Amino acid sequence: MRFKSLTTFVVVYIIALSFIPLIHQTLIAQGSWLGYGTGAYAFQSPSYFVLFNDPSDGSSKPNIHVNPSFAPNERISLVEFSDWTSYVDGYNLFNDFNVTLRASPKILDATYTRPGLVLHKFIDLSSPNSVIVKFVANKEVSAHFEMWKWIFTSVNSITIRDAPKPAVLPISTDIDFTFNDQTQAAVGSGEISLSRVPTQIEVWPFENGFNRVTVDFINSEMTFNVSGFVAEVGQATFTWNYAYLPYVLPAIAILVVAIYLLAERHGKKDKDLTRRSRR
Amino acid sequence: MERRIKISLVALAVRLAIAPFFMHAGDLGTIYESSAIVLSGGNLYNFVYQQTLQMQHAAGLPVFFEGYAYHPLLIYFFVPFYWIYTVIAGPTPVIIGGHFPNLPVLIYPWAPFAILMMKMPIILADVAVVYVLSGIDVKKAELYAFCPYIVFISAVWGMFDAIVAIFLLLSYLTFTKSSYAMCGLMFGLSLMKLYTVVLLPLYVIRLFGKWRQLGEFLLGFLITLIPVAYYLVFSPAAFWNVLVGFQGSRVMGGVNLYNFIWIVPDVRFDILLSLLPSILLVVGVVYVAVKYGRGLPLLEAILAVMLVSFLFGKVMNEQFLVSIFPLILLCKKCDRRLWVAPFVFIFLRSPFYYFAIPILWASPYFYDLYFQADTIWRLLQTEGYLMIPMYAVGVAFSLLILWNLLQVLKSTHSTAAEPAFSRSFSRALRIRRR
Repeated sequence: MRFKSLTTFVVVYIIALSFIPLIHQTLIAQGSWLGYGTGAYAFQSPSYFVLFNDPSDGSSKPNIHVNPSFAPNERISLVEFSDWTSYVDGYNLFNDFNVTLRASPKILDATYTRPGLVLHKFIDLSSPNSVIVKFVANKEVSAHFEMWKWIFTSVNSITIRDAPKPAVLPISTDIDFTFNDQTQAAVGSGEISLSRVPTQIEVWPFENGFNRVTVDFINSEMTFNVSGFVAEVGQATFTWNYAYLPYVLPAIAILVVAIYLLAERHGKKDKDLTRRSRR
Repeated sequence: MERRIKISLVALAVRLAIAPFFMHAGDLGTIYESSAIVLSGGNLYNFVYQQTLQMQHAAGLPVFFEGYAYHPLLIYFFVPFYWIYTVIAGPTPVIIGGHFPNLPVLIYPWAPFAILMMKMPIILADVAVVYVLSGIDVKKAELYAFCPYIVFISAVWGMFDAIVAIFLLLSYLTFTKSSYAMCGLMFGLSLMKLYTVVLLPLYVIRLFGKWRQLGEFLLGFLITLIPVAYYLVFSPAAFWNVLVGFQGSRVMGGVNLYNFIWIVPDVRFDILLSLLPSILLVVGVVYVAVKYGRGLPLLEAILAVMLVSFLFGKVMNEQFLVSIFPLILLCKKCDRRLWVAPFVFIFLRSPFYYFAIPILWASPYFYDLYFQADTIWRLLQTEGYLMIPMYAVGVAFSLLILWNLLQVLKSTHSTAAEPAFSRSFSRALRIRRR
């Protein structure tokens, strides 16, 4: 009897715990910066998923994804800031600075320091409609920032046909872009509003579009206000992705537990039969 | 030649043939790096503590550097072999980095030799287990010697759970021969990985009332704690943080029912939730040790406590089962096929380079093959495909542990020895209170 209670406890325990990822995803993970792994941070809002990679990786600093309204579990990358290829006063953001991360519920503060230079990169999700990436330096700096995506189909209405080679765009404080998402049969558009006038905006061709937009400026402050939208144009095919795992694990737990209980019962039956036949 | 020696030599040959060509980058790299620090007179715990402080400062999170977080004595099993290596090959590092998630840098042609030397204490421990087991039952020794799981953990990956296994086995055998001081010493040495500490209450309960024997056991055990006392006195903050802080704040997971936590990207929540298995572990171990500690034969009692700790404990890495595998082989109640689950898990969880270095990195052709396979593995991992079988195997392994635990516990049930022990134990407590 006591052993049966132990089995019951373990079985219930396994099944109950298998719901934790789902509970966390729906009740806890929404609307605040959460740290994980060796120092990465993620933020899930109703419309955007933002990832800021750990200090040992220079990509996704941050990577801003949009969650399409027709497929809320999908995450389509809108634009990715890269520290690998961004520079301030000629110093590479990944290799030449010490970085520390601190998070409040809505704002992640990445502080880049090197002798004589302190730069903050704030990723602010206070507004539900956009993601603000704000740079603040302790002095006026000459900065070169790169934003990546595979791929932009147009940037400020310029396509690959207009600019088959790297091209400097007319100076503006707005960068509008479009893109296709073949998996989701969707088209997307995005907008990056700059708070200061840049010195240069350049696009870099790749395959059928552009994979990079670079922004250069001389200032002690610059805000990138990023927003985007994805619309369904065809019949989206269901594709499995990581975000579905919390829904699947309880089913796996129940299945494995059921197999165990059946095997245990079968084993007991066999044992009883063997005993009876011995008698 | 005596069969016992023959099996031991064949087990040694198999392991030596494999050892230089593979490594677990993180664990073997840690032992290599730690041996170098100790040989140069450095303090291991200060090094790991500094790395942790740097990580925590950078990330603003309670994250820990995964370095040397073991008993201080452990590294002295490896240092002599590292020293021999440096005498032959020189002091230039040949395994650099490799702490997860970074790849190690390997310097050829010496890297395979360094790997072999760092695995020697593990291989010798494995061979010692084979030798001791063959003195009891040759067939069981053969099972241990050629079990793919054991060979993989020790010779392919270079994880040192075989050292825990030999000392745990000797601790059991010396106890049965009433050599309690030696039993305490062997048990203390089995704490090279801290998870066997759950057996301490069992030994104490087992010897409760036999004060002289208990004293001898504790004396033997305390000898192994002298280096612990040294570090607690001379670098208390670092030692405490690395051993207690790291182990206490570890996020649950592994080949167990808790690996669902790997898809919950929230380290503070994960650490908080990991308190639950820790509480269950303490309750489970105390309950089994008190209730069944004396009623069961010692072998079954040890296995019951270890199995309950594996069932409820928060971390169950692939290699942990090695530590009790010799005892499982000796126990008629346990299913020796238990190793299959962690063995399968290895291939689901590990990045491809854990099976490929140094051998596949030595030539451009092999490196290309490795690179293609690794790309596919990473794609499957990123999309979450591997998490499903990993979780299924984890839950299945926990249930298999439960089944084995029940078989072990049922052996007292039939002999009705347990109530007798409970009565004598409570009588002893009453006498003490008076």
